Parts: sequence; structure tokens; C-alpha cells
Amino acid sequence: MRSRIGSRVFLALLALYFALPLVAALLYSLATKWGDTVLPSGYTLHWWVDVFSRPEVSGALGRSLVLTAVTLAIDVLLVVPAAYWSVVHNPRIGSVVQTVTVIPFAIPWVVIAAGLQLIVKDTVPQLFGTFWLLAAATAAIAFPFLYWAVENSLLAADARRLSEAAATCGAHPMVTLVRVVLPAIRGGIVSGSLLVAATAMNEFALAKVLVGTRYETLPLWSARVFTSRTGNDPNALAVITIFTFGLLFALSALVVWLGRGKSASSTLALARTSSSAEKG
Amino acid sequence: MSHVVLNGVTKRYGAQLALDAVDVSVDKGEMLALLGPSGCGKTTLLRCIAGLNDADAGTISIGGADVTRMPARKRPIGMVFQSYALFPNLSAAKNVAFPLTVRRRERKETAARVEELLALVGLEEHGHKLPNQLSGGQQQRVALARALAPDPEVLLLDEPLSALDAQVRTRLRDEVRRIQHQVGITTVFVTHDQSEALAISDRVAVMNAGRIEQCATPPEVYAAPSTRFAAGFVGNRNTLELPVADGRVAWGGAFDVEAPSGERALCLFRPEDVEIGADGPGLAATVDVKVFLGAVTRVYATCDGTTVFADVPSRSAAGLEDGQKVFVRVAPEHVQVFAA
Repeated sequence: MRSRIGSRVFLALLALYFALPLVAALLYSLATKWGDTVLPSGYTLHWWVDVFSRPEVSGALGRSLVLTAVTLAIDVLLVVPAAYWSVVHNPRIGSVVQTVTVIPFAIPWVVIAAGLQLIVKDTVPQLFGTFWLLAAATAAIAFPFLYWAVENSLLAADARRLSEAAATCGAHPMVTLVRVVLPAIRGGIVSGSLLVAATAMNEFALAKVLVGTRYETLPLWSARVFTSRTGNDPNALAVITIFTFGLLFALSALVVWLGRGKSASSTLALARTSSSAEKG
Repeated sequence: MSHVVLNGVTKRYGAQLALDAVDVSVDKGEMLALLGPSGCGKTTLLRCIAGLNDADAGTISIGGADVTRMPARKRPIGMVFQSYALFPNLSAAKNVAFPLTVRRRERKETAARVEELLALVGLEEHGHKLPNQLSGGQQQRVALARALAPDPEVLLLDEPLSALDAQVRTRLRDEVRRIQHQVGITTVFVTHDQSEALAISDRVAVMNAGRIEQCATPPEVYAAPSTRFAAGFVGNRNTLELPVADGRVAWGGAFDVEAPSGERALCLFRPEDVEIGADGPGLAATVDVKVFLGAVTRVYATCDGTTVFADVPSRSAAGLEDGQKVFVRVAPEHVQVFAA
């Protein structure tokens, strides 16, 4: 009994720890003035209207969404067939791929960006400073999230056995992939994609080093506003923080609801990367 | 007429020889069981026939056509896996239809065939259900129907009953045999369960260490194993190692048979071939314990410090008491002798 109360208290503290910053940001985005009182002295939608009527914000939001979509497309097209191949046809390359997936976490993203910058300058200067380099780099650092999710669902669905069964049914490998394997791992693709989207949406270091002001994404805009110290912009930052969180949260809630609880863990995982990417 | 012919099929995994130049053939409409302990190569052999493993050497032909280098999807086979391997996103009916739709059969023809097969395996009512809504036995019936759907020349069954619980297992075992008879399809059936192999196959190939030790009808394999391994693996046997004298080996007054050359011989005999009587002739022994098994009672008896077990009809065993002095004998034709 005592331990049950203890665990409840612990959970409540944990929830408070995670929720407080969000609640504070939300209140701030709605506050008329929040000085030396516990709660704001008044509430308004002024900041929300103001922020989204600025062309630079809608532009940055659009650029972030385009970057997210392109990153996602690159990762899904590259990672799903690769994971399928490694699990079903050549398990021996699995350990190599596993090692590669750790690289984006072993090396700081700023270092990865600087390294890319150096290599690209010498080898393919046409790519230097372009959106495509940013998209390729973002896809490269975000791919492990998708790879892990897809690999797990391939193993859980016993995709290898399913592929063999399909072969003995007379199915071509492409037919097997599209009609048997993909439907069986749909959950993994979707939850992995969410993590990739969250990473791309919040990624700052690569964008800062690789494209800078040439392609200002939402995180770049936030950083610029944060450091510029002009007027009432902290409220605008609060609006964007809450907006980004709300967008990703709604997306993952949708996925959980569609998956009928099968991939319930994706929401938590998503919240985790979203906050860590914010810091990175 | 041989329908499936394997010639010198060899397969290596690194240094390990999984199949050692296996020759075997299966007649049209025959059911061959590949029986052996795990790691004996039986599943590898089946997968070579299916085309899921490539043989390193040797040839495989089905219906006279060489399929050795043909990919699995082009071979005229249907396969059932131990883990069912049903496509989880497709209903039972769609699973059965799958081999037909990938062959682009007409929709009407496919629907009729699916209905026919679901009826054959007794699942007419369950066609709309997803695999996870079916029991293990039902899933394996669907897998069987799916394997039979394109009317393949050979049906390959890889331990199809091993994942099922005992009761379902026996029922489905007999049903597999019924369906195989009804369809008249040439079948290769992998199992490590000897009673399964003996119960439903026309011939049993006993495998050990990548080779076929004996390939014969179930009664032959049971009564006259040709190798020591086959004798030890099929059925329960008493095994005694005894000295050879003058070309014969004897165990007291219980039996006296010809022996192969060598100083010692291994004598194997089945519990149902051991006679236990209150009077001689025979070897004097003491009843240790009785285990009631229903129709028969297993009697453990010790003579000269050696314990043998005998399956005695329960009616006659009723007269035996623990500790009773008895005489044990085995008819010479029931003793298999191998060099020790």
C-alpha cells in the first residue's frame, strides 16, 4: 500500500516536471502582462494573431514543413527497403547497419554539419549551402528512429517467414514487399516516421551551419528572435513553442488513435525527441 | 513412379555438413515423412525441395523437370510452416486466395476455389476472419488450404503440428492424412515426432547427421530398424550391451541370438516384446514397479542388476505384485543386434 502511494507521488512529480514548462509557455503566449504576479494579470489572443500574421513566420513554418516532408520522403524510401533487405535477405549486414545507426548520436550534430560542410565544399560544391544538402543531412541524422521502428516491426511480424511463405505461394519479391510485408509493418513505419518528422521539424544545428539565413526554418527563426532582444518577442517564441508541440502532439495522438493503442509508446518517444531536438 | 527425385543433395553451413549427399525419391501421391532429431537436416532437406535453401551439390527434380536452380516462387510446390506464416493483414479467405491472385487467375475461378478449399479444411464459416481471430489449429488449416490452392504437384509440410497442443495435434494429424488422400497429392512431411511419422506416412525416412539412415514403411521402420540409430530413435526400446561368445550373444535365459563380429554387442528390444511369466523358461527377475498406462501396464523388472521394462496387457499385469519373482524372456526374432 505504501509503495503504491509512493509511486503515485513520484508519477505526479514527474508529470509536474514535464508539464510545468509547457503550461508556463502556454500561459505566456496568452498573457497580456506577466510581471511580478503568480499568474498573468490578463489574457489575450493578440500574440497568436500577431505571430501568424508575420510573413517571416509563415515563411519559416512553410520551409520547416517542406524540409520535414522531404526528409521524411528520403528516409522512408531509403530506410524501409534497406531494413527489409537486412532483416529478410541478409541478416549479416544487420550488425553493420546497427553500428551506423549509432553515429548520429555518438557525434554532435554541429560536428556532423561542419564535417559535411568541408566534404561538400571540395567534392560537390554545387550542393554547398542548398536546401538539398540540408534535407539530405537531416535525413541522415534522423534515419535511425525510422530504422529501429521498422526493424522491430519486421522482426515482430516475422517478415522473413512471411516472405518465404509468399515465395512458396508464387509471389515475386516486389509483390511480397508491397502486399505482404508493408501492411504487416505499417505501424512501425508510421511511428518511426513521426519521430523523423519531429526531428526534422525541430532540428537547429544542421540548419544553422549548412544553410543559415538562406533557408530560415522555424527553429532558426526562433533562435534569431530569441537573441535579437527587440520588444515583446518572448511572447511570440512562446506561441511558436506551443504551436510546434501541439502540432506534433496532435499528429502522434492521431497515430495512436488510428493504431488503436498498438503503438501507444510512440507518443512518449515523440515527446522525448521533440524536447531533446529543441535543446540540440 | 517417382515424382520427386533428389540425387546427391548436399548442403553446408560453414564447416558444418547439414546434408551429406542425400538420395531420396517420393512416388506420386505418396506421403513421405522425414523423421529425425533436431539438427539432423530434415528441415534443410525440405527447404531445398522448396527452393528456400540452395543445395551446394546434387540435383532435385519434380515431375521429371530439374528444379535445382529454380527460385521457390516458380516451383510447383505448396508449403506449410510450423509457425503458420499466415499473412496477418489478410482474412483467411484472402490468404487462401493469395497464390491464385499472384498468378492472376480469374476472380470467379478464385472465389470458387477458395470456397472449395475452406470447405475441405472445415472452415467455411471462418473465411472472413483475420488470422489473429483464429485458433492455432484453425490457422494451420488455413495455411494448408493456402498451400493447396494453386494445385501444386508437391505439398511440403514443415513440422506443421508442432506448435499445437496435444489434442488438436492428433486430430489435425489425422485430418492432414485424410486431406492428402482425398487430394492425392505427393507430400513430404518433416517431423521430430515418431508417432506422428508412423501414424500418417506411407514411408518414413529416418535422418541423422545429414544422412538418411533408413527409408521404409512405418511397420518396417518400427519392427526392423536397419541401423543402430534408427533402432534407438524409433519407438521405446530396452538397450543392453552384452558380451559376445562363439558368435552368439545371450542374456541369461531370456534370449540367445547370433551376434556380429566383435567382443561386445548391443541388443535392442521393444517393451511389448518382453514376456513376463510366473514360471520359466527365462531369466529370473524381480518386479520393481508397475505403471498403469491404460490398455497396457509398463512393468519394470530387475535381473542381475539390470532393469528392463515390459509392456504387458493390463489384465495380465493385474496378477503381478511389486517385489514378485518372475521370469523374463524375449523371442529371438524381436531382438535387434548391432556391433557395440
